[in-house]
Amino acid sequence: MDECQSAIPAHDGDLHVVAAAHHIVKALGTTKNLSDDLRKILIDLDAHLSLITSNIDSKGGKGFVEVEERLKRVERKIVIWESDRIMIWDSGPKEVSDYLEAVDEVQTLIDSLRGLSMNENQKQKELLHRASSLLQMAMSRLEEELIHMLVKHKQQSEPTYMPSPSSQRNVVYNESVVSLDNESAKEASSKSSRSDECGEYIVDLVPEHVIPDIKSIAKVMFASDYGQEFCEAFIGVRKEALEQHFDILENGKLSIEDVLKMEWCSLSTEMNKWTWSMKIIFRVYLMSEKRLCDQVLGEFGSVNSFCFLEIAKTTILCLLNFGEAIAMGPQEPEKLLRLLDMYETLADLVLDIDALFSEDGGSFVRLEFHKLLEGLADSVKAAFNTFRVAVSSNGSLYPFPGGGVHPLSKYVMNYISMFPDYSSTLNLLLEDQHSDVASLVSEPQCGPTASLSTSCPMACHLRSITSSLESNLHKKSKLYKDEALQHIFLMNNLHYMVQKVKGSELRPFFGDEWIRKHNAKFQQHEMNYERVTWSSVVLLLKDDNPGSSSLSKSAFKEKCKGFSIAFEEVYKNQTSWCIPDPQLREDLRISTSLKVVHAYRTFLGRNPAHVDDKCIKHTVEDVEKLLLDLFEGSPRSLRNSRRMMKT
Amino acid sequence: MPATDYQASFLGRISIRRNQVIAMDGNHEQELQDLELFSKHVSERFAELLSSPDDIPFDALLSISWLRKLLDFFLCCEAEFKGVLMMGNDPSQISKPPLDRLIPEFLDRSVKALDVCNAVTNGLESVRHYQKLAEIVVSALEQKPIGDGQSRRAKKALTSLMSAMNVDDKECSAAKATERSWSFSRRGVSSKDRVPEHFRSVSNQVAKNWSAAKQIQAMTNNLVPPRGAEGSGLASPVYTMSVIMVFVMWALVAAIPCQERNGLSAIHFPAPKQLNWAQSIIGLHEKIGEEWKKKEKKGTAGLLDEMQKMEKLGNILMDFTDSFQFHGDITDQKAEEAAARSAELAETCRRMEEGLLPLQIQIREVFHRIVKTRTELLNALDQVGKSSPPLL
Repeated sequence: MDECQSAIPAHDGDLHVVAAAHHIVKALGTTKNLSDDLRKILIDLDAHLSLITSNIDSKGGKGFVEVEERLKRVERKIVIWESDRIMIWDSGPKEVSDYLEAVDEVQTLIDSLRGLSMNENQKQKELLHRASSLLQMAMSRLEEELIHMLVKHKQQSEPTYMPSPSSQRNVVYNESVVSLDNESAKEASSKSSRSDECGEYIVDLVPEHVIPDIKSIAKVMFASDYGQEFCEAFIGVRKEALEQHFDILENGKLSIEDVLKMEWCSLSTEMNKWTWSMKIIFRVYLMSEKRLCDQVLGEFGSVNSFCFLEIAKTTILCLLNFGEAIAMGPQEPEKLLRLLDMYETLADLVLDIDALFSEDGGSFVRLEFHKLLEGLADSVKAAFNTFRVAVSSNGSLYPFPGGGVHPLSKYVMNYISMFPDYSSTLNLLLEDQHSDVASLVSEPQCGPTASLSTSCPMACHLRSITSSLESNLHKKSKLYKDEALQHIFLMNNLHYMVQKVKGSELRPFFGDEWIRKHNAKFQQHEMNYERVTWSSVVLLLKDDNPGSSSLSKSAFKEKCKGFSIAFEEVYKNQTSWCIPDPQLREDLRISTSLKVVHAYRTFLGRNPAHVDDKCIKHTVEDVEKLLLDLFEGSPRSLRNSRRMMKT
Repeated sequence: MPATDYQASFLGRISIRRNQVIAMDGNHEQELQDLELFSKHVSERFAELLSSPDDIPFDALLSISWLRKLLDFFLCCEAEFKGVLMMGNDPSQISKPPLDRLIPEFLDRSVKALDVCNAVTNGLESVRHYQKLAEIVVSALEQKPIGDGQSRRAKKALTSLMSAMNVDDKECSAAKATERSWSFSRRGVSSKDRVPEHFRSVSNQVAKNWSAAKQIQAMTNNLVPPRGAEGSGLASPVYTMSVIMVFVMWALVAAIPCQERNGLSAIHFPAPKQLNWAQSIIGLHEKIGEEWKKKEKKGTAGLLDEMQKMEKLGNILMDFTDSFQFHGDITDQKAEEAAARSAELAETCRRMEEGLLPLQIQIREVFHRIVKTRTELLNALDQVGKSSPPLL
């Protein structure tokens, strides 16, 4: 409170009122625990009264001595730093408070000089100019200090918690359903670790202890009407910092044209990055940035939201544009999961976005993201539909060798087993297309008595997809000339579907009824296979004349030969067929064994007289063993091996 | 004229037409009428843009309000174009020659236009920054009396403003961000006017090698006026709309700071003068092109009228602050002039404050409209592809 002590007491009679007022002000000024604002007012008043005193005192002559003295004093304090290479805020708290006090004093002097009527007093004018010059010097310096401070501290404020995008759901379906025919599809391991959402994670973008310093600069700059300069400097540094963080997230700066031309593999990576960046940018950086703005600019009204918007806008536009590019692209089926990720991420963030940009100026941002959310919802629906269409229209020209599990079945079942992760979103988005599909799927689960999980839109859509798959498989099975192989093929694929449903989170959506029904279906094909393949063979061993006890030797020989030929034919064919599931293969062999070996053994047993090596090409044990070679997927022939054994 | 007026009347017309029973011949006649009406509207709108008086600052060529009018007209033309192309006509037409080639080319152009829209939206952020700097100049010079302090404050902001506006396009790219990183090994600069500090890097949204000029050049690929019999069919509105799109994007890029604009003035699209609707566009293209050539050599942030005013006033005020510092004081006459210029600058800032955000929103609207039409055309092509027997 230098200025209080230095005030010149009035000694002229007609100045007693002024003097009295001055004393009161001084007395008040010495009171402790005054608020900053009040203290400032008192100081201003004090200076003003001093000026009146000195002005009247000198009667327009060479007055302002005291003001000039004060100005000289603060001038020294401010100018001295101009030649110094060290930043004030790096020098120590004493230096800082001295400097701030000096700036305050300049401002006070300016206010007081302005407050006086400007009656062509040259001295007053000169002092005012000097003071505002000084103020400009100080403001310029403060701006530099601010930038230095912000830049110096921004590097040290990397958030310590930064989960990597690789911990996300990261199944990449690099193949397209269209290109699948007769190629092995990679079995996608299912994963659903969705527990790693980064949540709201506010970090200190600037260390906590620096905030009061920044605030002190803000306060004095705003008080001197240099708020605009403060904002520009603040925005400049913070904006660049945010952009650097954005760059660290490795978002490729892609034009829409680039995105539309991109290969699926890289596009999938970019979509993952976007999902990740959205979360990090909004939940971590923008939330933190908002807090920083509130802390620093909270008391300055609308500049707060203005600065925040300016800092955030370019980064946000970048994220927005990639989203738009994806939403407008062709929605191939393989994009579905990534699109769902994007949709869910944005849907999660939309409330935060609304809150961050609640002011008028931010309505543009809010609106754009709501539009994008709609666009992504449409994209999800479109991709879902193209997936469905692809499943039913995937065509083949040649039968799938061996009759094993078709890549399409693998692709579809593995793909849809990811859907339960997204069930609430899918239910929401597929709602309006629900009724058409529900009527398509004639299964009882969609009826009013069904449980919630089997009657939700997603469940109906899932079953409609698998029923498309089934009819497609039926079409594919017709490509086999051998009826038995048709059944093996359908058995394999239906069994695969049931296994996939049973062993995944798909189960509740399909329900036990569906599983029962489809178990029955593949078992039917199993039976049909046996009938088609073995009935005629077994028939060869049948007793033509049940009355007589045994066959003539020649008839026996004939029948044996017929059986051998038929059996070898089946063997040659069906060793190349394939039943990938060991349990299913085992089951089928057992039931085949029961039927064939039993018939053969009975046949031989009925004709003990003729049983010798020459007639019987295969013993019962041979047949039993040979049956084990079936469905292994490696073609074998018996003729050669037999001949070799004989020689 | 607001876009909605056009749309309303336009949609009304379509609905009437759709209710008519269309005989084959009547249909064709109708189509011809539509085409005629479309090109008539195009030529009327662009004639209005061309005749914008330069002396009324509010409507001057390439001013914010002029650009907004341009975008309004674009939206109107676009709506009509879509109507002509897609409604009432036999939808299979778009999959037959020559449209089977022209439509995909048009869609390709649309995508390129979207990237231009984004670049321009981003560029408007820079313009906004200029506005903020100019506002500081105004604040400084508003004070009475103007002293050394005010003059220094104004000069500092002016220096930042002028150097921000005079960066050439290459600097608009990433290089600048690094160059301008805050290398304040301060204290080495002892002069009273230190390096301008109010800078904000112009961040680029796309890859470094993306070029607005090349993008627009690419939009003119395959852009040739329909010849012979094609001229009377749907090929002609596709061509017209393409020219409009290229022109609008070109004008935006010329007006607003944008990444890499070398060669912008060399771009010319072959719009034959004998086409009525094209005359005004050609006129505008020539006029703006001339301007661009003048400025290109010096390096300019853009031809936006408000920015050019800012530049002009900025130079005058810069001289004023220089002489102020040199003499320590100024004559009353000079002070008055400075006050008048400063008031003009304030007015320019006010117009920016009012116009920039709406302009940005309108560019987004154009963006969304282009996306929508593209989607609709793709869907229509898809439908036609499905319903027609596959070609062997």
